[in-house]
Amino acid sequence: MKINVRQICFIMAAYTVVARLLLFPMELSNISGRDYLFSALAGFAVQTVVIWAVAYLCSRTQKTFFQLLEDTFGNIVARIIYGLFALFFMAGTLVPILEHKLYVHAIFYDTLPSLTVFLPFFFFAVFAASKGFKNIGRSADICFPLFALCFVFIMVMSFGEAKFAELLPVFKTPVTKIFGGTVAGAYRFVEPCWLLMFMGHFEYKKGDAAKITVSYAVAAALVLLFLAVLYGIYGSITPSRQFAVSKTALYFPAIDMLGRIDLLVLYVMEIVMLFWLVLNIQLAVQCISECTGYKDKFIISLAVNAVFIVLTVTLDHKFSAVQGFFASWFWIATLLFTVIFPLCAWALKKGAKR
Amino acid sequence: MTTLEKNIKAIKSVLSSQDILVFEFKSEAGKKFAAIYADGIADKQLLGELVVKPLRAVKPDDKLEDVKQLLASPEVKDCDKISDGIKEISDGNAVLFVDGEKDFFIIGLKCPPVRAVAEPPTQITVKGPREGFIEDVKTNLGLIRKRIKSDKLQIKTVKVGERSDTAVALVYIDGVCPDGLPEKIEKEIAANKIDIVPDSSYISQFIAKKPRSLFKRCGTCEKPDIFCAKVCEGRVGIVADGSPIALTVPYMIVEDFQSAEDYYITSYRATTLRILRLLSVIIGVILPALYISAQLFKIQIIPLQLLLKISSSVAGLALSPSVEMFLTLFVLEVLNEASIRMPKYVGLALSVVGALVLGDTAVKAGIISTPAIIIIAFSAICLYTVPNLVETTTTLRWLFLIISGSLGPFGMVLFAAFLICYLATEQDYGVPLMAPFAPLVKNDLYDSMVKANINNLKRRPEVFRSKNKVRLQSDENKR
Amino acid sequence: MKRKLTVILYWVIIIALLGLYFTNDFGIVDIHKTSIITAIGVDIENDEVLVTAEVAAPQPSQSGDNIKYTQIQGSGLNIADAMNEIKSKTGFYPRLQFCKLVLIGDSCKEHELFRVLGCLYRKNYSELTAIVAMCKGNAADMLAFKSPVTDITSESILNILSHELEKTATVSVANLKDIAMKAFSPSKACYMPYIESNQPGTSENGGNGENIGGEQGGQSGGSSGGNQAGGQGGGQGGGSGGGESGQSNSGNTGGDMQAMEFTAAKTAVFADGKFKTILQEKQAFAMNTLKNELDTISFGFDTEEKHYTFGLKSVKGGVDLKVKDGIPEVTLKFSAKAQIQGVKEKVNPAKTINDDVIPEDILKSAADELKTRYTEIMEISKTTECDFLDIKSLLYRNYYKYYEALEPVLFERLKLNFDINIGSIN
Repeated sequence: MKINVRQICFIMAAYTVVARLLLFPMELSNISGRDYLFSALAGFAVQTVVIWAVAYLCSRTQKTFFQLLEDTFGNIVARIIYGLFALFFMAGTLVPILEHKLYVHAIFYDTLPSLTVFLPFFFFAVFAASKGFKNIGRSADICFPLFALCFVFIMVMSFGEAKFAELLPVFKTPVTKIFGGTVAGAYRFVEPCWLLMFMGHFEYKKGDAAKITVSYAVAAALVLLFLAVLYGIYGSITPSRQFAVSKTALYFPAIDMLGRIDLLVLYVMEIVMLFWLVLNIQLAVQCISECTGYKDKFIISLAVNAVFIVLTVTLDHKFSAVQGFFASWFWIATLLFTVIFPLCAWALKKGAKR
Repeated sequence: MTTLEKNIKAIKSVLSSQDILVFEFKSEAGKKFAAIYADGIADKQLLGELVVKPLRAVKPDDKLEDVKQLLASPEVKDCDKISDGIKEISDGNAVLFVDGEKDFFIIGLKCPPVRAVAEPPTQITVKGPREGFIEDVKTNLGLIRKRIKSDKLQIKTVKVGERSDTAVALVYIDGVCPDGLPEKIEKEIAANKIDIVPDSSYISQFIAKKPRSLFKRCGTCEKPDIFCAKVCEGRVGIVADGSPIALTVPYMIVEDFQSAEDYYITSYRATTLRILRLLSVIIGVILPALYISAQLFKIQIIPLQLLLKISSSVAGLALSPSVEMFLTLFVLEVLNEASIRMPKYVGLALSVVGALVLGDTAVKAGIISTPAIIIIAFSAICLYTVPNLVETTTTLRWLFLIISGSLGPFGMVLFAAFLICYLATEQDYGVPLMAPFAPLVKNDLYDSMVKANINNLKRRPEVFRSKNKVRLQSDENKR
Repeated sequence: MKRKLTVILYWVIIIALLGLYFTNDFGIVDIHKTSIITAIGVDIENDEVLVTAEVAAPQPSQSGDNIKYTQIQGSGLNIADAMNEIKSKTGFYPRLQFCKLVLIGDSCKEHELFRVLGCLYRKNYSELTAIVAMCKGNAADMLAFKSPVTDITSESILNILSHELEKTATVSVANLKDIAMKAFSPSKACYMPYIESNQPGTSENGGNGENIGGEQGGQSGGSSGGNQAGGQGGGQGGGSGGGESGQSNSGNTGGDMQAMEFTAAKTAVFADGKFKTILQEKQAFAMNTLKNELDTISFGFDTEEKHYTFGLKSVKGGVDLKVKDGIPEVTLKFSAKAQIQGVKEKVNPAKTINDDVIPEDILKSAADELKTRYTEIMEISKTTECDFLDIKSLLYRNYYKYYEALEPVLFERLKLNFDINIGSIN
């Protein structure tokens, strides 16, 4: 088997969190204010259920998602659906890439350098995306401890400054705004699709569905904890705090003496973030490979990344517009690909039980 | 022409070199013999004692069998092919022709000049055995046999090198070593036709799946105790004639962070040292790069008071921070290279020139700054905590430096991610280079960056998939 | 073929990186082109923001300890404009990441606080970690004063605003983040320390606490402070006029400039982003006992006979709000264990053993003194409509259903309780 359950759990636990440490808190708090925790919670609750459903489905079949589609609808439909998934993964990665470009400029450079400084990311992306599931899994084995170490470090440095009373009173934001936040941030929720793609590539053992679901739930809890700490630190000015993770540890007393050690921690965490960014591209490449039947993943990776380079260059100064568009409309695609498709997978021909 | 003369001529026609000596002698009864051997690598004294002396008693009508009975050497082999005889002479043995006989004997007199077994310079230990391998394969195999007396110990010899005919011995333990692994390695070695194999590093490149990789693919060791421990874990050991460095396959990067001494001291100290080595290597590789990145792109990384000191030191320097660091590192590499190659008696002069002239004067002249020298010096010291990885880590240091000076800290992070991604999938002979971290092998973590107590190391490393998994059975009550 | 291409690609990448490495030609601002700003002072003159930056200018030195601190001024319609002017004048790229102190002068009292500090809150312009303080007179002059403690003025000021002193209730420290958080909370009130400079050996605040009502918002200390500072400025442009920008005067080379001591015992309070008043020492102390995280504090008070100074340990203070039957009740809580540190009388060393067991009447006097001070600050809060004790935030967070109804009339209906518990340490 190419990947194992432990690695999937690591991916769920680490990448789910790092994906939401930059602009997600700012976006959510802009809409839902102090109750942004509930917006996030709503999103995570739905996704946790879907993840459990997909993980449980893995116990019922040994087939990959592509094989399930192929056996039920035939090869052509399976290829079309995989093509759509490839597009979904690519679209879902666009905002994170553009967001990451801004983040890189903010935390790695004092003066704003040109776009070219970010472009080498695509060298890495081409290389990594041409690798298969084995690489995804093993990278997660390394990334998880890095993430855990960094996250604990950041939280320890941040906790002392947080005054959780800032989160009171709870549930005073109109429900429409709370759900508005959930919908606007929905484009970041792609995790069930990851699991759908891993399906059939790992050996399912009894209790694995619970492990995967719990990993995701723990990640959700960590995100909520981070959001709570962030609001505890910044209170009413949270919506103005870009790249939240780089702002929380600033008030740790040792920073005055040791300098910005939090930045060094963030640089290590950036490695995990890069693997998270690349995961979606890797899965897009896998989908295109299945869709087209073309096996040279390096060429596909090259093509996919070329598209991203063009988009990154074209949309260089249009982040707000792109993000606004995704926040307004992309929830439909998210609903379709991360909720409806995975749940519908239960209706496909599963073949022999494990 | 007698048979004896014909045989001598046949040999000399091929081995025409002047150091191939022919020693003709007669028994008391007048039977003629000729011994041919290579000067310098055959033991002449043994020839006299074990061959010439006993053969004085040979009678003219004695058959070849009777002559063999009289030879006092324990290593006597019948031979009928001149080509085989030529090989043996080149190898250091002697060929003994008997007049009137077409067949001949090969007498084991091989005695190449070897140095004594000594403590290897690269793996010095304070506690633990001090013997090291030498350039002679037989001595090395003897050192191994001395430690592993098991009947399961297997030694397979392969000859490599069209001209050097170097003996390469594969050492493994039947039942512990994964099935088929020695054969695979033997096949890989045999697939290479090369003139000469002067050192085991050639073999390491023959058996590596990606020989062009920046990273090592074979474990190396100079000490028989480490070698034997690795073989007992399920690896195949490779000892090449002419090289004091033995190889072990499969290899994992974590091996190089472990030293022999770790197993002879307390596990707490060993764990601390291993973590220290890891941190040292990381610091050694990235410190110069980070310093450049901080100066050029993100001064916030540096604490204010330190920044002010650095600013004051670099103020007025003629060179940009990146050029300054490049130059300093370049000087370090030159000094390093020169100090290794330079005759010892010039070494002192080099230290004076390097430390005083280049270091102190360059700072005074405002060409380079004090922090740059401190950083480069510290980086150099850090890298030598893991000497087996120095070739790789020094190259990585250059790469990180160039990337950080051109792309900044993000470039460094990107390159680190690239390395992780690359190393995560690399594997030779089914064992991942990054094991036991990627993939995570829980049980093997007890002897990775952490060195657990010996009682926790009851099983052999799982990553090798040995058939015989248990290496320590002990009384549970004592644990 | 593929291998050849890979090798070529590698070489191309390495050569390109080497090219970038040796030229660094994409607009980076390295350590040579950076000026490290350790503090800024902000004054407003004729509706223009005058920024005085205390800049660390490292001088060539092998040991790395030759730093010269200078004050550079720039002006504009906002802080960013002024900083740009500094950039254009000096050629250095000013960075605010190391700025640990933002001093605002008396002249800013008449202006909206977030008009003065505005730029510092813009996205990624600065980290919100710098401590903010208001100073008597011009900020420019204050930064130009020579300190008897260290060579660096900002460092001397930061020393008296340390976290340790904050824990002794002698100073109310606030950074940019705290100010914004408080100002945009339901209370809409914030505070910051008020820095004054005195010549060593003198103290103009000796009478502390006489002005119970506080200095009202309309009263500007700008002119007096400016005049005082003007005499001390020493440099050409750093004087009280301050209109001339772009001059620089070195803090270290101020000629015969006399060293000044700094105090931060008073606190400036703001409501709705506007300056309201200055709490005098005793009032500020009372507020700090309720708002700061406290450790060991020293508390002086008078009884009918003597003046006592208590050392208070295990100190806890806070504000508690309850709404009962629609009536808000605020309880100002303070508890501590006291030990006599000093009494204005002749000491008999043999009897100092009794310092840990304090008679009830003295403890009551201490509690009464504190009660009086609490009453004073509540009065100030009410009269100035400046909720610096954050009572409205408590109402909002804990009794949200009453918030809309009570918020406009909170101070009128507020019932004040005290829960002051000072006991002997033994």
